[in-house]
Amino acid sequence: MGTANSTTSASRSKNKLHTKSIQDRILEVIVYVSMILVTVLTLYPFLNVLAISLNDSVDTVRGGITIWPREFTLKNYDLIFTYKGLITGFQNSVLRTVIGTVLGLLSGSMLAFVLARNDFGGRRWISMFLAITMYVSGGMIPGFILMKDLHLINTFAVYVLPGLVSAFNIFVIRSFIDGLPYALQESAKLDGANDFVIYWRVILPLCKPALATVALFLAVGQWNSWFDTYLFNGSNETLTTLQYELMKILQSTTTSATNSQDASNMAERMAQVSPESVKMAITIIVTIPILIVYPFLQKYFVKGMTLGAVKS
Amino acid sequence: MKSGNKKIVASVLSLVMITALVGCSNPFATDSSGDHLPDSGDGKQPITFTYFSEDSSTNWNNMNDEVGKVIKEKTGVTLSAEFAVGDPVQKLSLIAATGNYPDLIAAKADVGKLVDAGAILDLTDLINEHAPNIKKMLGDKIVRTKYSLDDQAIYAVPTWSAVDEKKIRADAGFELQHRVVKEAGYPEIRTVQDYEKVIQSYLSKHPVDENGNKNIGMSLNADDWHMYQVTNLGFQTTGGPDDGEYYIDQKTHQATYHFRRPEEKEFFRWLNHMNAIGLLDPESFVQKTDQFKAKVASGRILGLADPEWDYGDGQNALRAASKFDQTYGHYPVTMSKEYKDTSFWLAGFDGGYGISISSTCKDPVLAIKFLDFLASEEGQVLNNWGIEGKHYTVKNGKRSFIPEVQERANNDSAAFQKEAGLGLYWNMMVHYGDGIKDSTGNYFTRNYPELLSLNYSNAEKETLKAYKAKHWKDLFPTEEDFQPRAYGAAYTISLPNDDPSMILGAKMKDITWKYIPEAVMSKPEDFDRIWDAYMAELEKDGVQEMEKIYTQHIQDRIKLWSAQ
Amino acid sequence: MSKRILEKESVYKKVSPIRKGKWKEWHNQRYLYYMSIPFVLWVFVFQYFPLWGWTMAFQKYRPGLGFFEQKWVGLEHFRTLFQDDHFYQVLRNTLAMSFMGLVAGFVVPVIFALILNEVRIGVMKRFVQTVSYLPHFVSWVVAAGIVTKMLSTDGGVVNSILLGLNLVDQPIPFMSQGHWFWYIVTSADIWKETGWNAIIYLAAISSIGPELYEAARVDGASRLKQMWHITLPGIRPTIIVLLIMSIGHLLGNGFEKQFLLGNHMVIDYSEVLDLYALNYGLSMGRYSFGTAINIFNSVISLFLLFAANGIFKRVTKESIM
Repeated sequence: MGTANSTTSASRSKNKLHTKSIQDRILEVIVYVSMILVTVLTLYPFLNVLAISLNDSVDTVRGGITIWPREFTLKNYDLIFTYKGLITGFQNSVLRTVIGTVLGLLSGSMLAFVLARNDFGGRRWISMFLAITMYVSGGMIPGFILMKDLHLINTFAVYVLPGLVSAFNIFVIRSFIDGLPYALQESAKLDGANDFVIYWRVILPLCKPALATVALFLAVGQWNSWFDTYLFNGSNETLTTLQYELMKILQSTTTSATNSQDASNMAERMAQVSPESVKMAITIIVTIPILIVYPFLQKYFVKGMTLGAVKS
Repeated sequence: MKSGNKKIVASVLSLVMITALVGCSNPFATDSSGDHLPDSGDGKQPITFTYFSEDSSTNWNNMNDEVGKVIKEKTGVTLSAEFAVGDPVQKLSLIAATGNYPDLIAAKADVGKLVDAGAILDLTDLINEHAPNIKKMLGDKIVRTKYSLDDQAIYAVPTWSAVDEKKIRADAGFELQHRVVKEAGYPEIRTVQDYEKVIQSYLSKHPVDENGNKNIGMSLNADDWHMYQVTNLGFQTTGGPDDGEYYIDQKTHQATYHFRRPEEKEFFRWLNHMNAIGLLDPESFVQKTDQFKAKVASGRILGLADPEWDYGDGQNALRAASKFDQTYGHYPVTMSKEYKDTSFWLAGFDGGYGISISSTCKDPVLAIKFLDFLASEEGQVLNNWGIEGKHYTVKNGKRSFIPEVQERANNDSAAFQKEAGLGLYWNMMVHYGDGIKDSTGNYFTRNYPELLSLNYSNAEKETLKAYKAKHWKDLFPTEEDFQPRAYGAAYTISLPNDDPSMILGAKMKDITWKYIPEAVMSKPEDFDRIWDAYMAELEKDGVQEMEKIYTQHIQDRIKLWSAQ
Repeated sequence: MSKRILEKESVYKKVSPIRKGKWKEWHNQRYLYYMSIPFVLWVFVFQYFPLWGWTMAFQKYRPGLGFFEQKWVGLEHFRTLFQDDHFYQVLRNTLAMSFMGLVAGFVVPVIFALILNEVRIGVMKRFVQTVSYLPHFVSWVVAAGIVTKMLSTDGGVVNSILLGLNLVDQPIPFMSQGHWFWYIVTSADIWKETGWNAIIYLAAISSIGPELYEAARVDGASRLKQMWHITLPGIRPTIIVLLIMSIGHLLGNGFEKQFLLGNHMVIDYSEVLDLYALNYGLSMGRYSFGTAINIFNSVISLFLLFAANGIFKRVTKESIM
């Protein structure tokens, strides 16, 4: 479209703009009203948690706290920070999040690339092979025995190795790669690149939104997991993770007793250890790091920043 | 490959290698890590035992607390402990299934899994030869620690239940706010009709509180497992002791699923009536525990029928706000004067839950000696009172806790427990409970009657005085009013998980937890119809078979405990 | 889109399966195989090998005994399962809530992503997006507590508003009515997870080439039209992939929210398969029974997966296998 047609098309579009603008204006209103509504509805629970975490624990029992603490105190946080395992836990959590995410991105994107190739002989059966894993599981005991036989109990590797390949993430990335023109790969092949180079140099850089999204899922998954720590490394203090340490503090309030005598005994012994406010403080401590890291990933998938358009 | 690619491959490989290196830490080390203990005179080498417990212990400090250090010194044993997080059954099953046995295990009800695996030792001889304190404390109650009629080994040192105790607090029964009984002139509160009347009269005069919010006659906490607290009221108000979900005839030892007793039907009919006349909180079966506690804390609930450890948080908030006349007193309410409140019909010693020594333990003799020390008088005083001079003083033979230390324990309980270690070892020692005195004439524990009175608020004292009682317990029938049960308490019988009575029991529980709320919240004219449907469904799903099997278990236990 | 597929096929036509041709094909694609086979082996070891545990469903499994010491009971556990009336009720609840959740869990996040995409102010867009996923990090324990309080008859927000506007004269006991339950769960789930679920769609939207929008704008298309003709088709592959995977999970993906939002009065509507499996299986130490339910779950899920995949492949030419 050159400038030669500009006057006619411009005036044409201006007319169209006028008639369409009512539709667009209504849309505009809907957009902004709903965004405000969404903000209020979704910000509330978080502010509520924050407020309770900053509220005195005896006062919290009275309920009725909304977004502002009634009796401000930092004691809940103080209490949590007296637990010594937190520092080691934090270090290990960061380590496993970084390593797990990187490994997961590598394996996921590689497999997604391979499976996006229609000409790949193994495409159908490998896709099936992977998809099935999302719906089957052997159970906890065989899983544990396997880890034991592979000498993964009491190691750091158990956090990042078993879960290396995630079918879900692979399919997500693949659906993005499917949207890229095949011509790119063709021309690279003509330039003499092999498939690995195509993957690494051509396709991967173009998958940034997908990679950012999957990175987010992987990171959050790693950051929040504690059950594997409990099962495999529960007795090893040097391998503890942040979530596990916090879960130990948290769990005392969720007694599931099978009879009332059991319950009363347990409740008496565990009185006051983990009141509501402390639970909320734990939630905040776990979420804040994610919130801090998030904007760095966000720019990759929220349009509005300059993101390279795909060159034809 | 081009050089750029080589770099990438190299970095990926190195990343994997780093992971592997970090991953290959030592297999679980069982030697003590740098414990520099002075060699205690008896030539005990310091040793570390691994320990897994199904109970939680949030303030565990790896025995670096003051009490722990003394224990280490005296026994030469350090514990490397792990506690269950969330559901303990899964973790214990893994331990049983995969042969990863810690030296000491506290398996509570799941000890059967370990027995199956051959993971734990029979402790009979060890106790006989190396544990004099435990032996003496148990006396002939040792019979209660035997596993079953077919397998009379002792698989766990019974550290959970108190060997002997005199309960000093009446924590259960029905509760009424002090202001409610005061306004009514302190009438006798003995039957559900008395209870209802006094609530009714207060509520009609004060339908709302000072903020305009509705007062509630009575509320219940039935959130998830708290439902037991409601269903237990069935036998509590009709003279039945707490035998779990059963009522056991004391002469024939026949077990009945207690809801099938006609007397209990009448209790739930009364609850239904309370709902019909608007005295019962309509949210009783719907609210979550923290909603319930918030209501208690708001002071609007006039009456409860809940153990104090459940509503205690809410009551503390009231105390903090100085609303003492809105706190609660305990009353032995039953359906009629012919039934006695059974809160103090003691179960006696439950020898079931405790610590087992695994078959892979390096030094079982040292392990049993360690447990024996904890069970000794010295060990119990150490755990309950702390260290003389530091936590308590002895003046004229009388032991008393230092007030400043008590302050600290009250205000900063978690930090205090981590530092001092008081109360951290309670479930590792065979112990006496409240109200029992040691050889010095002082109490073993720090809960004793004289201490209670100090904590009563003025409102509480006023109410007690009006009822001519010194403690709430005085209003209740005491232990002496009841004959001990030949089988202890039914719920302490641990059965294997695939025992038919357990599976049927789960089914019955589901049926009960569905029908009781429905029956209570329905219209009075529908109550009988719903209750009949409830009974019919129980029968259809095998309640009689369950009762029969359970009766057999009770009889087996009586046989086991009477044999020598 | 279709042009691209045609291109692909023209350049790399599949060679007919003559032996010599096959080896050549494999050699040509050797890098693809290098990049995938190791991971396939990995998956086999960690995900397929433990499936030997399914044999537990045919035994009377006791954790302490070795494999060969277990007692074999054949299909007994499956018989118990299928003869239990309770099981069918639980199944009904599960399917009902999953289905509602499926519909809501797609429609709402997609609409949300589309609307959010229309926000012109960059700062607001990013702020709203960040805030929208916060409920995902609040645990269900807390979220269920908030919902229960809001719907409470004792000063809950919803009832206060209804009473204030004179729409009702008695507070409505939402939480004790079984037939409300499914709607409450679905609504709570929407509130909690929409922001998080929308992230994938936002990412998909951001990789749609801006030249498509340019062209449309020049043609005078309104933003609504652009949304309909460009954005939505642009994220269609992603939607379909996620949809197929979610259909496979129709038999349940946890029970936390139903459990926490439910209570004894609505138990007939709130109990789902995963909770049933926990209560009657794992919690009672009945591993065999729990495994039997697990197998049932997996078999049906796989059936749903393949069915969904097949249907979508035929109708929309998009699929995951």
